[in-house]
Amino acid sequence: MVGEEMMMMDPSGLKAIGAGLAVGLAGIGSGLGEKDIGAAAVGAMTEKEEMFGKGLIMTVIPESIVIFGLVVALLIS
Amino acid sequence: MFKPKEMSRAIIVGHKDVMEDTVNALHDINTFHIENFEEDDSGFKIGRSFQNAGDLSHKLVKLRSISSFLGLKPQEQNKQNVEDLLKDLDSKLLELENVVAEKNSHKNRLENQSKELETLKKDIIPFSGFSLDLGLYRGYKNITVITGSVKEDVTVAVAEVTQSYEIEQDLEIGTVVLFIRNEDRDKVLKVLSNFKFQELRVPDVDGIPNSLLANIEMEESEINTEIVSLEAEITKLKEKYSEFILASEEILSIESEKSEAPLRIATSEQTFVIDGWIPDDHYELLANTVDNATNGRGFVSKQEVTKEETNIIPIEYDNPKVSKPLEAIMDLYARPRYTEIDPTFLIFITFPLFYGLMLGDLGYASTLLLIALGLKKYVKIEALKPFFNVMIYCQIVSLVFGVLYGEIFGFSLASMHTAHGITAGLIPGFETIELFHSPIGNEVITFPVHRTHLAMTMLALSVVIGVIHINIGYLLGFINENRNHGIVSAMFEKGSWVIIEIAIGLLVLGYLEYIPMAAGIVVFLIGFIMLVKGEGIAGPLELPTLLSNTLSYTRLAAVGLSSVYIASTVNLLAFERIMPDEFGIMTIFALIVFFIGHLINTILSIVAPGLHSLRLQYVEFFTKFYEGGGRKYNPFGYIRKYTEE
Repeated sequence: MVGEEMMMMDPSGLKAIGAGLAVGLAGIGSGLGEKDIGAAAVGAMTEKEEMFGKGLIMTVIPESIVIFGLVVALLIS
Repeated sequence: MFKPKEMSRAIIVGHKDVMEDTVNALHDINTFHIENFEEDDSGFKIGRSFQNAGDLSHKLVKLRSISSFLGLKPQEQNKQNVEDLLKDLDSKLLELENVVAEKNSHKNRLENQSKELETLKKDIIPFSGFSLDLGLYRGYKNITVITGSVKEDVTVAVAEVTQSYEIEQDLEIGTVVLFIRNEDRDKVLKVLSNFKFQELRVPDVDGIPNSLLANIEMEESEINTEIVSLEAEITKLKEKYSEFILASEEILSIESEKSEAPLRIATSEQTFVIDGWIPDDHYELLANTVDNATNGRGFVSKQEVTKEETNIIPIEYDNPKVSKPLEAIMDLYARPRYTEIDPTFLIFITFPLFYGLMLGDLGYASTLLLIALGLKKYVKIEALKPFFNVMIYCQIVSLVFGVLYGEIFGFSLASMHTAHGITAGLIPGFETIELFHSPIGNEVITFPVHRTHLAMTMLALSVVIGVIHINIGYLLGFINENRNHGIVSAMFEKGSWVIIEIAIGLLVLGYLEYIPMAAGIVVFLIGFIMLVKGEGIAGPLELPTLLSNTLSYTRLAAVGLSSVYIASTVNLLAFERIMPDEFGIMTIFALIVFFIGHLINTILSIVAPGLHSLRLQYVEFFTKFYEGGGRKYNPFGYIRKYTEE
């Protein structure tokens, strides 16, 4: 019976899936955000080397998302 | 320590007769930042460079071209006396120039010869199948010689159009040679064109192709040995003259810098005016130097700096030696402005601290410490030195946290008793000591701190660190604002944030029913109104950053934990999944997995904690108070490496 099998599923497995999704999806999100900013930052840097600091800051702003994902994963597991 | 060096604007005025002496003296003390003169309607003109400028730059160009021909690189050597060097600089330069020119033309000649031989060889090869003297291919009156390349046998086709012919064909190389009567030429060519015939030129030499080729190869190898010995001679030349070249390049650079200085100076018919900046504590030195160099005929005076001018004051850091390397990290972002707090010393504390807090592994830290020390010793690039020093600071802090966490390459040093049983440590008999209960998440604080079992506490701790760090930022912002725009503006712009933070604290207390909610709400409204007044409509829009910035500090715990998990996964894979009970091929495989896994994690250990620590400074900390954008202080002078006076 399907219902009974569902009942027997180990909750720790679901937690692991949840944690994995939290990090993985957040990582994809960060990556999507960073890819455009990073490309633009590299472009700006070749024009003007002093842009490194500002470029780095802009690039890593979406990085927080994956950290939040990681924190959520830690909270779940 | 917390602000840039104090600068004064100084003006040096004198008669043109003493301009050269003044410029020389200024260059020697290497502390006066010249403000370039731009012509305006004041009547002053840009000066003319000193007489020897053309000669000097001519020599400098020569020397640099020689230096690049020899492939000279900066090196460490004894300092040479300027006078000795200058005495025979011209003669030595001429001598060197002649030698180098000779070697250069010799090398070019050999290379050209080698190229010519190569072309000749390519031309002869198609005829190497025939043992016919190349001289016999030309010089006939009634006979036409057709030479070219075809892929197929053309004998039959040629026989159809003419009876009197002689044909040689080498199908392997694809060459055909035809001796025909002059009048048959067009007919035969027409036939040949059906076979993708391409005409080949017979090289203009005499002899049997094969013996010619053998000769060419012999000649080529001779030229190659000659080139090799020439290159050895050039290397010897480089060794012999490197000290001279480096030292004289330095002298010439210095002299040409001096001789071109008038191009930055304002002059009238009889006088000159040098405008610039000098660190306050060097003002006396400047005045005395100019006075001595000109016998009292040059005058130095201090100028009042107006408020608008503070933006163009060149910035020189004023930090203790120990925190100097962090200036490089500051420069990556931007130099401070003159009226701003210089946060280098704070970065000196927090950057390595955050790095160590994240990495905290004895194994990785000591590996990276050794790498950093090695790089510092063997890499001679001046611009990279500060970064190696910063890396060393970071690794030292990481070692301290490594001891606190009791971790080495993801292994725990101490054994630990948990509800799930005993986890053995690397050091036998080293037991984890339970200290006290953490207020969060029912966790127990131990020594060594097992990060993986204290995730909640670590996360909470990093948020607390974040709150402290951000508030230091607001405090610095308050000081900056107070200094530049007064206390009222500082209260509205920066103080309002602190009040809102207090309000959030009160609201939490109110939610927990320790105090009435109204208190929090009232304080929040006060803060909110102040914020709108201070920062305008953008202020409230930035309110959520208070939350995201604080939560951002959770990376201090999270990045560290991810590094531990990667390390222990590598260990698990290598020693428990792959490593067999008996020695065998899988033992080696396990060791490879162990090695490569930790190699990757070591590289990640520079990138991840480094970038995240940097980001916390740049994004979360600096945005609270730092503007940056100061001009670099660039004194007129030269730091001698290879020469001394």
